[in-house]
Amino acid sequence: MSAGTPPLPGPPKPQVKALNCPKCGAAITLRCFGQAETVVCGSCRCILDAKDPNLAILQQFEIKTSDVKPFIPLGTRGKLRGTDYEVIGFQRRHITVEGITYSWHEYLLFNPYKGFRYLTEYNGHWNDISICKQLPMLDSGFSTGGAANYLGEVYRHFQTSDANTDFVLGEFPWQVRVGEHAVVTDYVHPPRVLSSEKLDKEVTWSIGEYMYGREIWDSFKLPGSPPEAIGVYENQPSPVTTNVTSVWLAFAAFAIFLLALMAGFDLRAKKEPVLHETYTYNRADAKNEPSFVSDVFELSGRTSNVEVKTYAPVSNHWIYLNYALINQDTGQAWDFGREVSYYYGYDSDGSWTEGKQNDSVVIPSVPPGHYYLRIEPEADPSLPNISYTVDVIHDVPVFGIYAIAFVALLVPALLISLRAYTFERSRWSESDHPPVQLSAMTGSSEDDS
Amino acid sequence: MFRKLYLLFGFLTLGTAAFGQYRGWSLDSVNELKNVPKSVRDNPGSYRSVYSGYHHYTGGK
Repeated sequence: MSAGTPPLPGPPKPQVKALNCPKCGAAITLRCFGQAETVVCGSCRCILDAKDPNLAILQQFEIKTSDVKPFIPLGTRGKLRGTDYEVIGFQRRHITVEGITYSWHEYLLFNPYKGFRYLTEYNGHWNDISICKQLPMLDSGFSTGGAANYLGEVYRHFQTSDANTDFVLGEFPWQVRVGEHAVVTDYVHPPRVLSSEKLDKEVTWSIGEYMYGREIWDSFKLPGSPPEAIGVYENQPSPVTTNVTSVWLAFAAFAIFLLALMAGFDLRAKKEPVLHETYTYNRADAKNEPSFVSDVFELSGRTSNVEVKTYAPVSNHWIYLNYALINQDTGQAWDFGREVSYYYGYDSDGSWTEGKQNDSVVIPSVPPGHYYLRIEPEADPSLPNISYTVDVIHDVPVFGIYAIAFVALLVPALLISLRAYTFERSRWSESDHPPVQLSAMTGSSEDDS
Repeated sequence: MFRKLYLLFGFLTLGTAAFGQYRGWSLDSVNELKNVPKSVRDNPGSYRSVYSGYHHYTGGK
């Protein structure tokens, strides 16, 4: 524009005005246009009226909390769940329970088209919070201190407490103050949390969804690693709870299948007796050579097991049999020793018995062929002679295999349930409804007495 | 994740149980030997069991 050009007619153009803190003169940046109610001077911690052209000082708080440093610096932009947001405000709030102060951080996010959103962080647990679009329905009859229904989901009451604001920074679309008290009530339905915040007579409902620190770091491209999450948070999704029911359903199905398998193999097993002999052990004869062999018997069909059963009518004695099941054609053998002993008596505790007159052993995976048993008996020196019966049965069901399979199926289901239980227990131990109150139990018993 | 792993584990367990039952597995411990001489049939004393010499329990409470 040349120097001699006269000014154009019409209203004057809007001019950019630099905003400075009226207290310390530091530059003030407004990021959410005209929607901020208050803005906090980052230099002197004055809370200023953003609606006032002169930025009137509303409050000033001491810088004793200057060590409070947001994980996400003000002005940081990021894409949260597909929408771009800028961090414009930060506040630290706390509650005091039984003399212990618990602090958490809240970040105010802004998008000119989508409005405001909040991120909260407590001990490395994050929540993405937005204002509820409709009013939740409260149900005070719920067994654990009430519940709320929001969009068809039931949220269990978790905690009601007095929240105090002790540090603020940036812009806020409400009249923020340090020292502000609000009654905060949380209802949970992991991974969501429904919160009501009562300030004077105004109640604000918000809905939050649990987020992992890594998601926040990725969204805002923050350097380093997010702080490690400590403990279990109120709406933290359990890594196993959702699986417990389905795992037990699967276990039930497997157990039924196992029963069917057991019945099927039991019906299919040949249980074929291939040898039934009664022998007599005579100590006098056994002095030379006690061992002998049985008749040859045939095991037909596929490779299967062989059960060797021994019966000896021992009474306060024992008999021991060194067995060898030998394949006549190949020389393959299975060597095993079995003791049959049975004792009984009477003492100051009453009558007692020990051992059995029967014994059974199952030899695994014996191929078909012609076999005989080599038997070498030994017996109690006080026994001059004793008869014993040997039965050999081909292809018998082994129920111990099903028992092991059952236990193997049961153990993971129990472990998953235990893990879910301990997780939920940790969660609710921090609530107004802890699972077991030992002190309360002790107190009630004292009251009773 | 847990459910899928458990399903896989369950099918493997049932499959192993069925295979073991079909192949005639046993929970008892026996000692398998190869090439036992054929002469044992005629002379049982020529074979010595690995279990002979076992120290027997004499029973009683």
